[in-house]
Amino acid sequence: MGTKKGQLKIQAERTFGFLVPKSSKGQLKIQEMAFMLVAVFFFFILVGLFALSLFYSGLYKQANKIAEERTLSALTNLANSPELSCASSKSNCIDADKLISLVGNEPYENFWPFSSLKVIRLSAFDKSDSEMIECNLANYPDCEKFEVYDKELKNERSISTYVALCRKGYENTYTYEKCEVAKLVAGTEIKVQGESE
Amino acid sequence: MKSKGLFGLSFNWIFALIVGGFILFLAIYGSSKFIVTSESTIYTETAAKLTSLLDPLETGLASGKATEITFKKESRFKFTCNEKSFAPFGKETVSFSEQTFGKEFGKQSERVDIKDKYIFTNSLLEGKRLIIFSKPFFLTFKVADLTLIFSQEHCFFDAPEEIEEELEGLNMAGIIFMNRSQEVKDCKGISVCFDDEMNCDVEVSHDKNYLVKEGKKLYYTDNLLYGAIFSSADIYECNLKRLKSKFDELSKIYLTKVNIIERSGCLSNIGSKLELMSAELESSRDILRLTEMAEEIDLINKGAKSGCKLY
Repeated sequence: MGTKKGQLKIQAERTFGFLVPKSSKGQLKIQEMAFMLVAVFFFFILVGLFALSLFYSGLYKQANKIAEERTLSALTNLANSPELSCASSKSNCIDADKLISLVGNEPYENFWPFSSLKVIRLSAFDKSDSEMIECNLANYPDCEKFEVYDKELKNERSISTYVALCRKGYENTYTYEKCEVAKLVAGTEIKVQGESE
Repeated sequence: MKSKGLFGLSFNWIFALIVGGFILFLAIYGSSKFIVTSESTIYTETAAKLTSLLDPLETGLASGKATEITFKKESRFKFTCNEKSFAPFGKETVSFSEQTFGKEFGKQSERVDIKDKYIFTNSLLEGKRLIIFSKPFFLTFKVADLTLIFSQEHCFFDAPEEIEEELEGLNMAGIIFMNRSQEVKDCKGISVCFDDEMNCDVEVSHDKNYLVKEGKKLYYTDNLLYGAIFSSADIYECNLKRLKSKFDELSKIYLTKVNIIERSGCLSNIGSKLELMSAELESSRDILRLTEMAEEIDLINKGAKSGCKLY
């Protein structure tokens, strides 16, 4: 074996003699080392890229978790906010007469930390989204869904809470407060790695 | 005999040292960048979590709430306020950092936007403990909750009884009530005087509805007093403008409600009065004028039939 190797080397030196300098043994060693270094270099780059992708996927997870926590904590207090709270100092009660003016109210679209916000009346709990009658100033109060806003995002996770929904009623010259159960639904944008905003 | 190069090292060794050094440099540079990014990420997360922690402090029907946040290390929060960006509500931003080696603070995190809160605080907060309390702000109807944050101890000299009772009722630390016989120098933190004769960091003229802080006169009414005491002058003025913008948006909601309850036989002339309040707020002094107008509206609302009250 040893002689065969030696013969091959001599043959290579004869054939490619014009390429190989005189100290060919040293040059080959350098080449071997250079290839090795390049391989090691690329290996570490790949490891680095893998670690970075893991880190960033963790980052997205954490960002989504914080956003969802924020939605949850904001939603539990939303019914008591000045924009929605009932006049009669009831806790967890939404004033439908105020809510109707929030429908399509653009400035509020970016005020709360939700990607969508809607209130569904008890009568529409069993219905699908498309079956519900959307509320506006013209058909209020004969409607089922108050769509405050919806940013129509692809990736969204919704959470909901039950609230009392009250409005002023009028019968035989007597004004009273008419209340029912409603569902307050808020969405959170779920950010996915590699998808732009 | 093998030929030796520089300092008696063979070419192989020199080559390996140069390339190895280059790889090591890249690795160290990459790691340090990664550490800085990770640190910034953690700090930004902390700043973002702070906003979630403030949600339970929404007062709802309560007259106030208080809590405390403690950190393991000396921490630094920076707040900014801009009433013009993100119209019409304006926004505040918060960034965070903490002590790393020695007494050095790490690089401040990315700024996190706060749009739905009105945080009255110093633009720079430092300490291991943050004391937070909230108070509702009414201008005819409830406009928002004021969130007040401070880290330094505050000494209130000769505070009116109602203020003392109100703050003691919240059962929070960081506020010490002192009387005239005690001296300002005994106070280790910020001194707040309700007496003109004393020389304090904050001088309150409670009967004239203003206080002097950082050489600036800040006007207040009702719970805004706490906002003026605990925040930087610029953050106070900015948040007051943000509150006025929120009031304007809420007025629009109430104007629609006026039209709706008219269908139920409730007639109200509050609408026209609300429209009169829509003028822009130039400085904190205007809050006195607005409060006077608000009192008028309040009287009309109180006089309405029980089923026809607007708020």
